[in-house]
Amino acid sequence: MSRFEELLGDFFYRPDEDTAGLLELPEAPADSSPAPKEERPGEHLVFVLEGERYAVPIGKVREILRVPPLTEIPRAPSSLLGVMNLRGDVLPVYDLKMRLKLSGQPPRVAGPPSEVEPLPRAARVLVVHGPDGDAGVLVDAVSEVVKLAPSQVEPPPPGLSGERDCVVGLGRQEEQLFILIDLDEALG
Amino acid sequence: MSPPAKGLSEFVAEANEILDLLGRDLLVLDEQRRSELDPDLVNRIFRGAHSLKGLSGMFGQDAMADLAHAAEEVLDRLRLGKIEPSAPVVDSLVEALDALQALLSEASREGHEGRSAERAKLLANRLSSLASFGPPPSSDELDEIGLPAQIRAVFTEYEEHRLKENVRKGVPLWRVRAAFDLTDFDVGLAKVNDALKPLGEVISTLPSAEPGAGSGIAFDLIFGSKSAAERIHQALIELPAKLAPLSGQPAPAPSPVAEEKAAAEPARKPATTKRHRVSVRPRRPTEAPPPARVELPRLHAEEGPTPTERREPDLSLRSLTQTVRVDIRRLDSLMNAVGELLLIRANVQRLAESALAAGAHAVSKLWGQELSRECRALERKLDELQTGILDARMVPLGQVFDKLARLVRRLAREAGKELDFAVSGGEVELDKLIVEELSDPLMHIIRNAIDHGVELPDERAEHGKPRRGTVSLRAEQRGNHVVIEVSDDGSGLDESRIRQVAVQRGLVVADQAQEMNRRELQNLIFLPGFSTARSVSAISGRGVGLDVVKTNIANLSGIIDVSSEAGRGTTLTLTLPVTLAIIRALMVSVSDRTYAVPLNSVLEIVSVEGSEIRTVERREVFSLRGRTLPFMRLARLFALPERPLSRHFVVVVGLAQERLGLAVDELIGQQDIVIKPLGGKLRHIPGIAGATDLGNRRTVLVLDIGALMEEVISPERRAEFI
Repeated sequence: MSRFEELLGDFFYRPDEDTAGLLELPEAPADSSPAPKEERPGEHLVFVLEGERYAVPIGKVREILRVPPLTEIPRAPSSLLGVMNLRGDVLPVYDLKMRLKLSGQPPRVAGPPSEVEPLPRAARVLVVHGPDGDAGVLVDAVSEVVKLAPSQVEPPPPGLSGERDCVVGLGRQEEQLFILIDLDEALG
Repeated sequence: MSPPAKGLSEFVAEANEILDLLGRDLLVLDEQRRSELDPDLVNRIFRGAHSLKGLSGMFGQDAMADLAHAAEEVLDRLRLGKIEPSAPVVDSLVEALDALQALLSEASREGHEGRSAERAKLLANRLSSLASFGPPPSSDELDEIGLPAQIRAVFTEYEEHRLKENVRKGVPLWRVRAAFDLTDFDVGLAKVNDALKPLGEVISTLPSAEPGAGSGIAFDLIFGSKSAAERIHQALIELPAKLAPLSGQPAPAPSPVAEEKAAAEPARKPATTKRHRVSVRPRRPTEAPPPARVELPRLHAEEGPTPTERREPDLSLRSLTQTVRVDIRRLDSLMNAVGELLLIRANVQRLAESALAAGAHAVSKLWGQELSRECRALERKLDELQTGILDARMVPLGQVFDKLARLVRRLAREAGKELDFAVSGGEVELDKLIVEELSDPLMHIIRNAIDHGVELPDERAEHGKPRRGTVSLRAEQRGNHVVIEVSDDGSGLDESRIRQVAVQRGLVVADQAQEMNRRELQNLIFLPGFSTARSVSAISGRGVGLDVVKTNIANLSGIIDVSSEAGRGTTLTLTLPVTLAIIRALMVSVSDRTYAVPLNSVLEIVSVEGSEIRTVERREVFSLRGRTLPFMRLARLFALPERPLSRHFVVVVGLAQERLGLAVDELIGQQDIVIKPLGGKLRHIPGIAGATDLGNRRTVLVLDIGALMEEVISPERRAEFI
């Protein structure tokens, strides 16, 4: 009986009914992909804060601006420098140095021109995709874009990660050292 | 299975529209209850419930579909005259509508089925039991007019019922035979219908067996009218229609369709037909065939869920309205774009001015003039664009008023009070966002009016007032504001009781309460925790209410005021801006920083000498026409470098009942601004409502007057923020 069915099945067999290959397909890349993915270098934007070089994944950065006039927000947390107007949107601008414990108090960059400290000519605002929507981040300078393969990234030294939990690793390329930071963590 | 979000929002919008219409029609039905029902109205409500059922079924909203179905059953029997529009029937229908609304708002939040589903089930059962009994069928009047059986066989149950009703009332029946060309018979038929409707009721439209001229088609309209034959003739004079009295004369030979129907009919019982009809939606656990359905002696044909499909051949798939539903966020982004354009225009204007100023060269001067003229033209067009977008955001207040009218009905019954609800100004338009936010506060106020305001009928009679109380809701536009008044003709506010309660609850000290004038005293009712209701009822009196109302109104930049006369009634007045998207603001300067104060909360500007400032409990105050107001230095509040000034400009702001003097350094002027909210974490910064830009790339903060007043009034709250 079953043999008869088999015969019938063969008789009615149509190649396009054979979906076994299709079903296997989705799994195939999962087996082979991790290795090449790991070696794909990620592009990072490098910027300077107090002479140290920091890096964030370039996909996080929307644009780089000269520092626009900032309006201070009374009674806001001190890491919030103020707000800026980017083509009609009002975006907050944050100071990373306080978060990274590079300085104890924020620079006076917002408010009326008479009270504002002059910023270095190279200073920029990075517009980044933050956890609560786009936000600006004030940096001393923007230096370059580097490609860092995962093998070039080491975990943060033990002493660093405790206090500065937004530091996620150290990137090394030839003699240069980049501090990789997690922006969501830093701005959150 | 969850339909995509866009589909859901479409569903919610459409269901909302149907529910709004149903609500309005049900109210009219309720008014007509005691007199003659308009058959068109009942039929329209029936169709509304039917479309809602279909729509909800399509989107898997089974609870809604079941309830709509139960309501449809009741309405069906109502329109067929099988049940009377008694109070319980109408009440249940209104309640079903409320439940549907609740289900819909649950659905729109995509939450799990909450309590509304339970309530809906109970209601559906109640409706089904309502649908299952009714008066016995009246004797068959149709025999008396001797209508040919072939014609009677093609009537739907509803048409037959309407025909009987007309016969019972002794309305003369007519047959209007209308012949049209095939190409535009729908237009022609609509014209005939329009001509006839004012004079009577078009009971049925049947295809006529006698062919029209050439490629034409003819219809027999069965028409009931008390009007004189000449008048009907007159109405049809321009139309290809002939009028003849309907009588037992040999009727035109029935069309093949009708014959077939007539032949098939005796095999079917009405109950079977009915079940067949509802089985379009197979899953329905609660559905039971209506028990003990009274059979009409006459058998009838059933063509489909809506008999109107045949009665209205002019039905088309094109929607009836020229309206587009737009997400308000799209309008917001358009508004933003216009705001940007205005800024660009200001820049161009500046260029033109500098060209004019550099007038050494004649060419440059000429160029400057040209540019500045174009600029003005641009400004006018931009103004137009801005107004257009603002207009698109406007919706009539009637949307909320209709819902409230339904609520009043229920509340009055629950409270055992008799009252009329008078509404006017439903056509006044407000920004969509404001209208949405208004429904809750208005509901609270009206609840209060019914619960605390209007007395019980006996009590009213004792005081020589009519037994029926009146609660009225009026809206009126005054310039850039809309004033909404809710008043009742009840007992008014009991001032001594207010004083007593306020002291009891520690809201004011006894001495203070004695010194307060009438208005101040009455306004104590807006304080949190104040409620004079001696008994806690289901409607109000839980100690929340008016303070929430006040906060909600203040959030809309509105002001609320109360005035009351003992024994005569109470009036609450809400003053609201027409829109929140663009506001007029007073620009002020403090320590070289510019801030915008929404002008709708600015009452006046005064100049105060340093010597006039006194302190009460270490807080600075000043006097304005005998009233002591808090004096708040904006610079100090915002921790900005203060300037030594001997004279202060004080912007007196008021929201709801509160007044506050805001000390600033300079006044810059008035300006229309587009408020942009501060997103993310900035939303929680106290005292700032948003930001705007004035064209010089610098952002200016807009003060949140409500929040600032809150801080001054309860300083301990401020501590939480810092």
